[in-house]
Amino acid sequence: MNAVNSTAFKRALLIAPLPLLLALLYGLPLAGVIGWSVTLPTPGLEQYRQVVTDPSIRDMLLRTLRLCLSSTVLAVAIGYLLSYCWVFASRPWQRVVEIAVFVPMWISVLVRAFGWLIALGNEGILNTLLMSVGLIHGPVQMTRNEFAVVVGMVHFMVPYAVFPLSSSMRQIDRRTLLAARGLGAGGLRTFWAVLVPQTLPGLLGAFLIVFVFCLGFFITPAILGGGQTTMIAEYVYLQMFQTNNWGLGAALSVVLLAFIGLMAALLMWASRVNKLVR
Amino acid sequence: MDKHHPSDCIEILMDRAREGKISRRRFVKAMGMLAVLPAAMRAGVGFAQGKQLVVVNWGGDAIDAYRKSWADEFSRSSGIPVKIDGSGPTDGAIRAQAASGRPSWDVVDAEPYTALSLGRAGICQPLDYTVIERNKVAPGFAHDYGIASYLFSYVMAWDSRKYGAKGPRTWADFWNVQAFPGKRTLFKWMNGMLEAALLADGIAPSALYPLDVPRALRKLDELKPHILAYWGSGAESQQLMVNGDVSVGAIWNTRAGLLEQDSDGRIQWGYDNAFVTPSYWAVLKNNPAGAQPAMRFIAYAQDPKTQVELFKLTGNSPANPAARALIPADLRARDCGSPENLAKQIRLNGDWYADHYAAALEQYLRRLAK
Repeated sequence: MNAVNSTAFKRALLIAPLPLLLALLYGLPLAGVIGWSVTLPTPGLEQYRQVVTDPSIRDMLLRTLRLCLSSTVLAVAIGYLLSYCWVFASRPWQRVVEIAVFVPMWISVLVRAFGWLIALGNEGILNTLLMSVGLIHGPVQMTRNEFAVVVGMVHFMVPYAVFPLSSSMRQIDRRTLLAARGLGAGGLRTFWAVLVPQTLPGLLGAFLIVFVFCLGFFITPAILGGGQTTMIAEYVYLQMFQTNNWGLGAALSVVLLAFIGLMAALLMWASRVNKLVR
Repeated sequence: MDKHHPSDCIEILMDRAREGKISRRRFVKAMGMLAVLPAAMRAGVGFAQGKQLVVVNWGGDAIDAYRKSWADEFSRSSGIPVKIDGSGPTDGAIRAQAASGRPSWDVVDAEPYTALSLGRAGICQPLDYTVIERNKVAPGFAHDYGIASYLFSYVMAWDSRKYGAKGPRTWADFWNVQAFPGKRTLFKWMNGMLEAALLADGIAPSALYPLDVPRALRKLDELKPHILAYWGSGAESQQLMVNGDVSVGAIWNTRAGLLEQDSDGRIQWGYDNAFVTPSYWAVLKNNPAGAQPAMRFIAYAQDPKTQVELFKLTGNSPANPAARALIPADLRARDCGSPENLAKQIRLNGDWYADHYAAALEQYLRRLAK
């Protein structure tokens, strides 16, 4: 008994530096932010009351949710197709997917946002193409709005969806797919009844990772949204650096953090349920 | 040799070093010659004058321009290395620096209202007008906590493909989408935009301040369907104009000048009814390099020759009236601070902004994100 205890103690001692470091570098500043949210400009819960009741803030939170959800659904759907190609397609196609997924990851988020501005602009490649084939007669407004923000966010997030999805696809026993085909299921049926259920943990993980990432988006909406689609992260910046309202900025950050914490808890809970089902 | 004499020399050297009168290099060399360098180190002389001086501006091309115009030569003559940091000294960023207890910024190139309100809040220190010369800027451009570093303007720029050479000249024109059809762009951080709306609504320039914010916002609502984007950075405003995404813009004169060049005259602009404002030098309290080097840097940047250099590099107009005579004749029309151009423009009121900026910006941003 004693020996076990001392081993446990030694183990705790070995991993202690990390939690301590986290508490110091992360916990302390976080406590400071929580402190601001209830003390600035005057002590009390006024800032939280404002977060809940202010119609402009509610609009902004709803916009953030809407943009993040639509971007997440699209990014995960595209990520799913790409992962499928990456895992199951022939070698050359796998290379194509790797290039399509990895190369954008190494390009700065600013460059990508400005790239989309150019591609989607009035005289950009997409409008020019659509006009030359006669689908549209004048340029369509595709930038400086929510559409452009979603395009930019999806482009950024697809690789983050691909990793959990492809890793869960790699773990699948391919013989189950062959067996389904052998038992007479068509391609679609095999996909829905055999592949998708087995990749559910990956799908869930991808969804949550992408969604949580999207909540923190800052530069992409600021550039592609033309200053009119403020999301929560930019709003926090505004409160901190432009309008000097640190209390409200801190309260919004705490709300955002709590929400993300909830999502993470959901992810853990869901993955455990999944194990039980298996 | 008298035992007391070297220590006296050291004392003199240390005093001069502390006051920033000799460079760190010279101090170390002199101490080395006196063979007392280790002792000097032990004595703990604060090498304020040898410490890096951090000058913070708004980034982009201005980083290189400041380095070429001000930092390099100042470092050479003073021995104080200067680092130009382009992260943007917004009001909140400076407050955050101060709140940390150990600011890492020395001199900031701040908006006038930022310098004024942070000075009142005890976050910026009063400028030392025994080092900096008050009369090297036009009257009204030097305050306790800030002094003009240069001038710039918010001007109207338009696409001549749409309107020929007869672009909008008044803010009523800017709001007139019948006479001047096409998308617009306004400044996301509000400065000058409330004034533009009020002038378009018929208020006389002399009656602008104090600004009637609700009235300005109502007038802005009117134009909202025609505003494609609110630009947040100079590069963004330039891109909106050059791509033809917008036909009219309220943008900085510095970017307007570049646009005119880059588009071979397609984008035109003028100083009629533009809003001119200085930018201010301010110094953080308890700044790491010490007060003296910061004040000396500001004084150095008052030199007309360096200001003309900056004007040539960025289009920012010299704050020192003596620099005007050094501007080459072919560039004078561009100078927003020249008497002819000043006469066409309206000056933004830094005092009003110092009192109302945060509250008004919050309302403005909420209005445009609706």
